[in-house]
Amino acid sequence: MSRNAKGLAAALVLLAAGAAAFLFLHRPLDHPVARITLDGTLVAEVDLTAVDAPYTIPLEGPGGFSNTVLVEPGRICVREAGCPDQVCVKQGFISDGTVPIVCLPNKLVIQIVGGGEDLDAAAG
Amino acid sequence: MTAARRLLALAVLCALLAGCAPQTKQVERTVFAMDTVLTLTVCGTDRSACQTAADRAVTELSAIDKALSATGEDSFVWALNHANGAWVQPPETWVDALLADALTLCAETGGALDLTAYPAVQAWGFTSGEYRVPDRTELEQLASRIDYRAVERSERQGVRLPEGMELDFGAVAKGYAGDALAAWLRETPGVTSALLNLGQSSIQTIGERPGGGPWRIAIQDPSGEGTLGVLTASDCAVGTSGGYQRYFESDGQTYWHILDPETAAPARSGLASVTVVSPSGLTSDGLSTALFVMGREDAVAWWRERQDFDVLLVEEDGSISLTPGLAESFTPSDPGREVNVLS
Repeated sequence: MSRNAKGLAAALVLLAAGAAAFLFLHRPLDHPVARITLDGTLVAEVDLTAVDAPYTIPLEGPGGFSNTVLVEPGRICVREAGCPDQVCVKQGFISDGTVPIVCLPNKLVIQIVGGGEDLDAAAG
Repeated sequence: MTAARRLLALAVLCALLAGCAPQTKQVERTVFAMDTVLTLTVCGTDRSACQTAADRAVTELSAIDKALSATGEDSFVWALNHANGAWVQPPETWVDALLADALTLCAETGGALDLTAYPAVQAWGFTSGEYRVPDRTELEQLASRIDYRAVERSERQGVRLPEGMELDFGAVAKGYAGDALAAWLRETPGVTSALLNLGQSSIQTIGERPGGGPWRIAIQDPSGEGTLGVLTASDCAVGTSGGYQRYFESDGQTYWHILDPETAAPARSGLASVTVVSPSGLTSDGLSTALFVMGREDAVAWWRERQDFDVLLVEEDGSISLTPGLAESFTPSDPGREVNVLS
């Protein structure tokens, strides 16, 4: 193999390694994590794929109401809320990043990220 | 190849690969305003410029909300709605300009959008969460007081509403806010792009997503959880109206928040959701409501006449129609789902 060919081979190996690293770093995530925030402050992050058995998270929000969040394998919902409209409870479970659960009176937002959908926002 | 040239080749490769790595800084803010949660994502080359811009955006949103809130007792809208027929001066010129633009849209849509439907919205309990179904007499009375043409504007005296009438900017405020923010964000040095998610029903896109390409926006399936498809968008506003967004059930009937100004009752036009894509947030926001009220036939006729926006219509039976401008940018989640391209 000539020196030129060796150089080319080395360059190709490097390029391939670089491309592999690029693809690895930019791979679509498929690891849904629920981010729970109260008035914009992160209070809990739940890896929904790591949930073995259902459990609840009690929350006291800045609006003076309470929310009980129910976590199950792969999905999450608000089971009980002290707010008057109950919109968050009626929404039921979410399992992907399409639509967050929002309790306006209590400034609670549950948003799922990293679900692999590669979306920036949801309209609806 | 000499060692020096090999080193040079390596350096070039490293530089190329580094170029692929995301350089864009991203700043996010969440605001509770306009009766919803707003998420602002500001991207650019300079983190501190993005932070400053995002903070300014939050401050401006709060100011817009304060002036336009129908429930805040120190707002312009509150003062107007409780003036008993007296003139009220808008606090700033943009409020009057917004009112003028919104009233124009009311007129252009033949009253399918009507800012003065607010007393009916209240009567159904959509502002308080204490839902009720008004009887026929009450609805007739409410409908008789819905008429955007009765709103008077005077350069010298301000704005006046006949006694007993009230207005609110709920159908256009978020779209307007998106326009106002986008105008200066586009001119802000260090900011290259932004996504203003103004409570999902109104989304403003500025530039492209970090890493390149248009922003990817899921369109919610009006029939339940999940997405109908993905819409790609850059430098435009996306407004969606659907009966599923806010509703209540009573005696087995579903009543949603989009009211027909003619009847003061929920608009049942056969449409389940309407998504309008336009350069203007005000237009996409207000028009999605108006077209929902009109129904498919009138909405399509209106689009054919205007042609200056794009629209995606979902009917109650699940069928999807869209204008040619969205044929390339909308991808249904179910590849087998039929999408009717309008002409």
